[in-house]
Amino acid sequence: MAWYLGRVGQYGLVLLVAMTFNFALPRAMPGSPLRYLAGEDVGLLTPAQVADLRATYGLDRPLAAQYVAYLGDTLRGAWGFSFQLGKPVAEAIRERLPWTLLLVGSSLLVATAFGIIAGAIAAWRRGGRFDTAALSSAILVDALPTFWLGMLFVAVFAVSWRLLPVFGAYTPWGDRSGWPFVLDVARHLVLPATTLTLASLSGTFLVMRYAMLDVLGQDYVRTARAKGLPERRVVMGHAVRNALLPVSTVVFLNLGFLVGGATVVETVFAYPGVGTLLYQAVLARDYPVLQGAFFMLTVSVLLANALADAVYPLLDPRVRRGG
Amino acid sequence: MGTPLAAPLAGAGSDRAAVGARQRPWLAALFRTRTAAFGTFVLTVVVATALFGRALAPYDPREVVARPYQPPSAQHWLGTNDIGQDIFSELLWGTRASLTVGLVAALAAVLVGTAVGVVAGLAGGWVDAVLMRATDVVLTLPFLPLAIVLAAFLGPSLGNTALVLALVIWARPARVVRSHALGIAGHAYVEAAHALGGGFGHVLRRHVVPAVLPLALSQFILAVSSAILAEASLAFLGLGDPIQKSWGSVLFYAQSRGAFLSGAWPWWVVPPGLLIALTVLGFALVGRSLEAVLLPRLRGR
Repeated sequence: MAWYLGRVGQYGLVLLVAMTFNFALPRAMPGSPLRYLAGEDVGLLTPAQVADLRATYGLDRPLAAQYVAYLGDTLRGAWGFSFQLGKPVAEAIRERLPWTLLLVGSSLLVATAFGIIAGAIAAWRRGGRFDTAALSSAILVDALPTFWLGMLFVAVFAVSWRLLPVFGAYTPWGDRSGWPFVLDVARHLVLPATTLTLASLSGTFLVMRYAMLDVLGQDYVRTARAKGLPERRVVMGHAVRNALLPVSTVVFLNLGFLVGGATVVETVFAYPGVGTLLYQAVLARDYPVLQGAFFMLTVSVLLANALADAVYPLLDPRVRRGG
Repeated sequence: MGTPLAAPLAGAGSDRAAVGARQRPWLAALFRTRTAAFGTFVLTVVVATALFGRALAPYDPREVVARPYQPPSAQHWLGTNDIGQDIFSELLWGTRASLTVGLVAALAAVLVGTAVGVVAGLAGGWVDAVLMRATDVVLTLPFLPLAIVLAAFLGPSLGNTALVLALVIWARPARVVRSHALGIAGHAYVEAAHALGGGFGHVLRRHVVPAVLPLALSQFILAVSSAILAEASLAFLGLGDPIQKSWGSVLFYAQSRGAFLSGAWPWWVVPPGLLIALTVLGFALVGRSLEAVLLPRLRGR
């Protein structure tokens, strides 16, 4: 119980830091914060209009009052207004979020499954051909810039071979209902999801392999072998199950990395998620959207971590009993 | 990544590291294995390119020297970009920018991280709790989006990029160094130093910092590789210095000016990415080799 309270406290703290960061940035920069809150055209307005805007954004009030109001607004989902997009920031993000969830979710699923299987096999046959090959490719892939990998996929699969679509999440003028649409979305998902999966595979693989090596050296594995259990049951029943424990926490730690990777991958493939929104906001210097997207991604990472906390006791009976 | 690896491994072999600090094993680590030697070789070439690349470049990459979108030729080994600048020269010049940002950001990050780590590890109690809470907050925040927002507000320049990266990278070395420092703080000789009246600062300077330095060095080298990768990502997203050429900014223009559609990708997109990958790989291999020497439990795994 105390452990859970500690976790919740940590998440609350991260949330508070993210909000404080967002509150402080426009106000800490030289010049008027209005430039960051309402757009760069503020310089063209008359003094009366500026004063009006300052009142709208509450900038005429004391800083502490602004801060309290800001926290309340953010928690209620009032994340400001994007003059570039002509709509509230929260709305712009809500439209994009499902695509990012689809991309990150499918990549996380595939990368985790492959990482666990490859890590288990590599550790089981430590030093063997598969282990050596997998380990070197993991180190190699880690060194590749994720966005560059995506660019190569675009060049090879889409432009040279014309095999798969590489632009957007669906065909703009196509059918938007039923199985054809599902298939269309899946086809558009293949390359971005493969890129993101490759980029995040090695983390899970390395941790699974290490945890598995650790477990395989434990006494209870030796006991299991000594009492004549078939190798398959030793590996699957004893080793893999226990090695999964550290992996499960790492999978969700990786999520922060994955979300960052999604930002560049979405940009390469013009995938209409939060990452592309972030990129467009960078180019347009649309600060409210930048901050809203950052906050949304932080909340997503925290939610995933909380999910991991909820799942962990299901995997580890010791945590369940200890409460 | 490697983030997840660091935590369970740190803290092991503190005795060996303390001994190692006297024997300077890191020089041997540079050539310990074939992969480490390869990494050392790559780094030597990259550093030489950063130092002498500008002198060797056939053209000034800021000048328009030919027609745009030229394929490779004897005059322009990697062709020309969308406004007719020599891509090969761009890459030679960009080496210095990319490497400098990586080194400066990593140095700042590891200095801060090491300071936080040793103070937390030695002081313990509420100081440790507060510092580690702060470290965990930074580790939880999504790394790249955080860097993007910071860079967008600070404005694009190489100095700001280095600052932004240092601000998001320091937490990992802090965690690793702290668990190592914890191990050292528990040793009898450190307790003896306390008992003999050595103050906090004395013990820190004389016993903890020297013992932690080799580990900090390996963390530095690993941090350089993540800083170079992150710099490339930021530049690719249009947050690079518009005046300075870097490997990432070459890729930014390749992406935004349609290198794929013009069929120019084999000489416009592939080379800068390979340079980034090779450099990052070089740092990662050398860093891992150092880590393996300093944390012997890792060896052979």
